[in-house]
Amino acid sequence: MRLLRSEFLRARSRRLVPMVIIGGLVGIVIGMGIVAITATKPSAAEIAQAQASFDKQVARCERDIAASQIPVDELPSGATDPEAYCERTWSPQFDAVLLRDLDTILQGTATFVILLAVLLGASLGGADWTSNTMQTLLTWEPRRVRVFLVRALVIGVCVFVITVFLQLVFAAVTALVASTRGSAGFLPSDFWRSVALTIGRVSAVSTALGVIAYAIAMIGRSTVAALGALFGYLILFEAVIAGFRPTIQGNLLVRAAIVVITHQRILDQTAFDGPSVVLLDVPKAWLVVGIYTLVLGALALVVFRRRDVT
Amino acid sequence: MAMIEIEGLRKEYRRARGGRTVAVDGLDLSVPEGGVFGFLGPNGAGKTTTIRCLLGLVRPSSGRLSLLGADVAHALPSVIGRVGSIVEAPAMFARFSGRRNLEILARIHGEGDAAIDASLERVGLRDRATDPVKAYSLGMKQRLAIAATLLRDPSLLILDEPANGLDPAGIVEVRELLRSLGAEGRTIFVSSHILSEVQQTADHVAIVAKGKLIKAGPVDEVLATTGTSGVIVKLADLEAGRRALADANIPATIEGGAIRADVAPDQSERISRTLAQAGLYVSELRPDTVDLETVFLELTKDKGVAD
Repeated sequence: MRLLRSEFLRARSRRLVPMVIIGGLVGIVIGMGIVAITATKPSAAEIAQAQASFDKQVARCERDIAASQIPVDELPSGATDPEAYCERTWSPQFDAVLLRDLDTILQGTATFVILLAVLLGASLGGADWTSNTMQTLLTWEPRRVRVFLVRALVIGVCVFVITVFLQLVFAAVTALVASTRGSAGFLPSDFWRSVALTIGRVSAVSTALGVIAYAIAMIGRSTVAALGALFGYLILFEAVIAGFRPTIQGNLLVRAAIVVITHQRILDQTAFDGPSVVLLDVPKAWLVVGIYTLVLGALALVVFRRRDVT
Repeated sequence: MAMIEIEGLRKEYRRARGGRTVAVDGLDLSVPEGGVFGFLGPNGAGKTTTIRCLLGLVRPSSGRLSLLGADVAHALPSVIGRVGSIVEAPAMFARFSGRRNLEILARIHGEGDAAIDASLERVGLRDRATDPVKAYSLGMKQRLAIAATLLRDPSLLILDEPANGLDPAGIVEVRELLRSLGAEGRTIFVSSHILSEVQQTADHVAIVAKGKLIKAGPVDEVLATTGTSGVIVKLADLEAGRRALADANIPATIEGGAIRADVAPDQSERISRTLAQAGLYVSELRPDTVDLETVFLELTKDKGVAD
């Protein structure tokens, strides 16, 4: 418990942590500021007309689903009932800033959130090696397994809390801009639940990637080595191997992260005939992300426990 | 009980391009309780590796180590709270304040602000505690590191080259601090390659070279091993003085504008009286003291290890 408090103090004291938070907030304000300035607020008549058209489309969609007798649990996009599915699938026919797009936007901005998480994980893991303070820490707490696990926990909690906070701020600012410069209407019945789940999933994946970055930093004993190795693997290796061997996508970290965040499974695009083959569905994607995190974490722990600290 | 016990310590490092480097080669050492123990040797003698092995930072290739009676390989966590240490340069977060660095460490063992304030006061850094460490001089960083070791009120302090890189004033500060800590009944295990520095503070010394123990024991005992102590005498007629001393059975030689009498310094009165009786009056009479550097060179000259 004492070590945990010390590690939280250490993490809180790092300049990178407030920089990530402030940088994220500044990015949100600038980005949404530009959206607000360039957006044109629809008139009441335009909204009323779009609402009527939207209601008609949703009613037709619900009728079609009822006629086709598709089971509720087979509805795509994670919808909980036909109404929510139709409200989400059909968009109102006018061009404006819509609060209902928040869920999709959050999924789109997940890349940036994950980048921040990786930066935090790599830095909080690598800084002690760069400044040689790991040696000092281990002369206070020589139980390396404990040091490793407590720090992984602290990094996980920090990344999760920070990413949830930034996404909540983003959601609030988007709601504000949509209310004043667009429309906060046309919301599916499960809209806020869906947004909350998306935020949770993005933060969960960010936490996993942050812990993976920490593990690599502990193996490479450097922040830069961790960032280089991780991005090299994710951007080059996975992209190349997925291009040459599409069927392996079900085992790749980036693809798994995408599936977890979007809740959209990946189908085998090379299977032209017959029923579509699912390469990666949501449960398996969670499993893949978990396995990558656990395996790299265990490897880093073994290396940290055995290697001399000089 | 010995505060530190080392038996047959050996540590080999693998080289990047194959082969092995033996940093410590069968070292045996016992550090008694209380006082300052100097662990001496040239750069590369294996001092820092030995300290790292003691603190569990480096895994020995073979051998047994114990700290405060606890086996380092299995029971280090049970005694680490009573051991303060600095290995090589003091490693702190440069952008954090001195106080924040201490707070992070203090929390690991549940020490509060009182312990931090007392440590800072002890090393004279209380006024600069809120400054970032990057603004500290090397001497201040060294003092801050010592303050960190004092947070736990340790009974054993292990300090690796604490005077390294310090200016003369800083060296004196650290020396005084070590003396006062040793006087409190703590055991101070201090490694250094500056032999003259340790001679002024240590009660016991161990000299290592090429990873092996060359000599260990109380400082006076180690100094006596070379048998090179004598008395330096200056006077107008050196040759007449040498003859007068030889007539009184005092062996003497003329070296560099003075007579060197090969007797213990406590024979100075006899020398003075002998010369005066011969009508020769000395202008200078002083002991030709042996220092650790001389002893070290003497002990290692056949092994080709001295710097």
